[in-house]
Amino acid sequence: MTTLTKAPEDALPPEGRRSWLKEHSELGLCALLAVLGILVLTDALTMDDHFAQRGPVGPQAVPTVVGIALLLVAALLTADVLRGGKGEAETGEDVDLDTPAEWRTVLMLAGVFLGNAVLIGIVGFPISGALLFWGAAYVLGSRNLTRDPLIAAALSLATYVVFNNLLGVPLPGGPLMGVL
Amino acid sequence: MDSLTSLMDGFGTALTPINILWAAVGVLLGTAIGVLPGIGPAMAVALLLPVTYGLDPTAAFIMFAGIYYGGMFGGSTTSILLNTPGESAAVVAAMEGNPMAKSGRGSQALAAAAVGHFIGGIIGTCLLVALAPVVADLAVDIGAPDYFAIMVLAFIAVTSVLGKSRIRGFASLLIGLTLGLVGMDQMTGQQRLTFGSLHLSDGIDVIIVAVGLFAIGEALWVAAHLKSGGDGAIPVGRPWLDKKDLKRTWKPWLRGPVIGFPFGAIPAGGAEIPTFLSYVTEKRLSKHKDEWGKGAIEGVAGPESTASASAAGTLVSMLTLGLPTTAVAAVMLAAFQQYGIQPGPLLFEREPDLVWGLIASLFVGMVLLLVLNLPLAPVWAKLLRIPRPYLYAGIMFFAAVGAYAVSGEALDLFILLIIGLIGLAMRRYGLPVLPAVIGVILGPAAENQMRRALQISDGSLTGLVNSPFAVTVYAIVALILAWPWVRKLLPARRTEERAEERV
Amino acid sequence: MRPRTPLALAVAALLVLLGPPLLTSGSGEATGTQIPGLQFMVPNSPGGGYDITARTAAKNIEDEDLNNNVEVYNLDGAGGTVGLTALINDRGNEKLAMSMGLGVVGAQRTNDTDSRLSQTTPIARLTEEPDIVVVPKNSKYKTFNQLLKDWKARPGKMPVGGGSSPGGPDHLAPMLMAREAGITPKDVNYVPFDGGGELLASILGGKVAFGVSGVGEYLDQIKSGDLRVLAVTSPKPHPGLDAPTLKETGLDVEFTNWRGIVAPPGLSDADRDRLIKLFDRLHDSAAWRESLKKNGWTDAYMTGAKFGDFLDAQDKRVVSVLKELDL
Repeated sequence: MTTLTKAPEDALPPEGRRSWLKEHSELGLCALLAVLGILVLTDALTMDDHFAQRGPVGPQAVPTVVGIALLLVAALLTADVLRGGKGEAETGEDVDLDTPAEWRTVLMLAGVFLGNAVLIGIVGFPISGALLFWGAAYVLGSRNLTRDPLIAAALSLATYVVFNNLLGVPLPGGPLMGVL
Repeated sequence: MDSLTSLMDGFGTALTPINILWAAVGVLLGTAIGVLPGIGPAMAVALLLPVTYGLDPTAAFIMFAGIYYGGMFGGSTTSILLNTPGESAAVVAAMEGNPMAKSGRGSQALAAAAVGHFIGGIIGTCLLVALAPVVADLAVDIGAPDYFAIMVLAFIAVTSVLGKSRIRGFASLLIGLTLGLVGMDQMTGQQRLTFGSLHLSDGIDVIIVAVGLFAIGEALWVAAHLKSGGDGAIPVGRPWLDKKDLKRTWKPWLRGPVIGFPFGAIPAGGAEIPTFLSYVTEKRLSKHKDEWGKGAIEGVAGPESTASASAAGTLVSMLTLGLPTTAVAAVMLAAFQQYGIQPGPLLFEREPDLVWGLIASLFVGMVLLLVLNLPLAPVWAKLLRIPRPYLYAGIMFFAAVGAYAVSGEALDLFILLIIGLIGLAMRRYGLPVLPAVIGVILGPAAENQMRRALQISDGSLTGLVNSPFAVTVYAIVALILAWPWVRKLLPARRTEERAEERV
Repeated sequence: MRPRTPLALAVAALLVLLGPPLLTSGSGEATGTQIPGLQFMVPNSPGGGYDITARTAAKNIEDEDLNNNVEVYNLDGAGGTVGLTALINDRGNEKLAMSMGLGVVGAQRTNDTDSRLSQTTPIARLTEEPDIVVVPKNSKYKTFNQLLKDWKARPGKMPVGGGSSPGGPDHLAPMLMAREAGITPKDVNYVPFDGGGELLASILGGKVAFGVSGVGEYLDQIKSGDLRVLAVTSPKPHPGLDAPTLKETGLDVEFTNWRGIVAPPGLSDADRDRLIKLFDRLHDSAAWRESLKKNGWTDAYMTGAKFGDFLDAQDKRVVSVLKELDL
């Protein structure tokens, strides 16, 4: 249906097994669903019986159903993929499916977000937030080294002031809080 | 007639210049704060509570009403423009609203939302005036088996948003149901899928799921396939709704309150399920089915009108029974108590000036909301003009702020990223995102109501069907399920079309 | 790289580093009851009981100029244990206090956590509130003993509605009653509801046999006659309520829900005494008395070590009930 799975390996030498996997990368999703199903089932079955339960339906019932359904859907989806079915990748105004996917950009963007999650507790919101904005803009192709950091810093600081000072929603201020 | 005279007196209170001013201030503050990430109407009212301490109760509540409606509208604004819903009632608006905004119809989407809020609010408030005591009596009769029956109906409705590949739609729904399982089981206190984390024991907030799947997932997906030369700005387009738009929106606007108001009034109703049901209904009834998912204006107009009407319904139970059916109502109830006013069955008798002033100010607030926000729609829509890297960086930034501000836990940011990655995978492999969000909303609610019904009946399965309301709903469900077979038995083609409308 | 770039980077760095501390007040020395930058943490959501207590106290403290500014924020989760854990981790922070109550005592036991209230610095118990046993007006039960007779006979068929999850106040009260009446607590059909709204509807609609709730929540429904109170759980009859205490009905149970304030562990004596003094002054103020009246709270002031002993006793009681339920 779409060409995007084929595109990246144009540069690769034709290698049967590998391109088969590329072609059927959706099997990874099936595996994920199956793992999720096993996880949910294990969690449900290792639960203790509970005092407050009345009647046939306890805290395990719904997770058990969901877990089994996940395994079932994983199996059906696998069958569908092996028969040549393929999910249609989502289109959108900013999405160009004709170009090969740039997974490096995605990884970097996710990395920037992860960095923010790790840093926010250490260096405070204004710094981690500014790095998040600047980093994300950089990864997405903005290369103005004068304007970008200034915008990032101003946005982050303004957000901090609005939340922390005006609204009273506390955000961590950074290493110099209480020092100055 | 009695209520009409009282309402006129109420307008006398609400239309003094100073009270109009408070309503306007409330609407503006509410919209401004509702736009901020992570802050829904409940937080907005709670945060602005201190601002009103200096006011007399009537003025304070007139301002609250403005903040409430303004906050709801503000939440839809970010939902439509940035794909980051600020509150659960605005989640559905993103489904069609954001594609509209992306394709340069942002102002139309916002205008459809603003007018939808206005119409839903006005009709809802009229129903509030006319029907409050009746509705309040009925609301009390709705119990766990009835809720569960409604949820079953809603699950059936999910099948119409599964997309082209049913199996992928189901996979998405199951991902949502799994996310919904996380947390402490409300009935027994048992921890499920929390992996020993205290923070997870309250479950994953539907806002985190929606923002993760919508905003973060979208930003990552765009990063993978950013159009080259994509630094050109998104066109803003014409600022107003044209005739064609109006022709498509007036019916959804009017249908919204029919769904939203009763849901708002019942104790476990809220706005999530009715907005979703409105979305499904409009999709079924739409003559432009091919546009759905790419920006069908009905999909904004209907749910937004529903959300607003459900807010009015919420006020019915709060004012007449003292029943807080949503977080906002709970905060407002607390605010009432701050002023030494006990909302409840006696409120209308004891504080008629305040109640009718408040109801009248709802009308005033709604008009102000429309007057202030309709001209602002094109201005907001211009937000999308900023270059793509800044736009998506900003979306990531605001999603992070919203997730973090609510609880101050970095863990929420990790969860947001994981859900964002799931959203990316779903986009890559053609899994629709809406069923997942619906799964998170419906799953826990349906489970709780079912188990509560069974517990009340001490384990007997009859507990699920022992009310006429539930039986009626199940009959409708059976009819919908059986319809494909019944239809085959009927020869005429006409019936087919009518069937579509009934569902 | 243009020469302006390093300049821009420097400005940006300065903004995010120096901005927050310069724009935020909250530093400065404490004098008298004045504690600059004092914060109240609320471990449940806006509109909840601890939230109203904290926000009312903060407002009264500001009104009476006991402290210039008190910031209230919510850290919701796991029945208050998320907030409790955060408080305990903020060791030695003399500018933080948390509103809490009996619910947190239960939650620290039912949730999988090592955080204990005994680790905190107890400051003051502020208010208390008895629970009530209510039925709708068309219920066949006119007195508590009629209800008790049926409850004893077939506890499974008599669903009890309460507004808290297992371990919370509305759950403990019926369990204590059941234990005293000779009903095995495990047989009690307790149905938890999410907050007061759905519970009220279920009681009014006769979905549950009876409800257990804080007295303040349904005053109006009681006054209007929609709900009938069969008993209050406090040792003394509640003013304004025409209902006997459990003791008067012959059931030897006393139960009151209460709310108070605790501070992080590791405070110096001076810091702890400053906080206690602040609440002493609040307790003596006219504004606070007015707030008690408005909200229908009963004054139950108790401070410092005495409050600490009380917390221990409450914890033991909760544990004893939960043990019987195998929780």
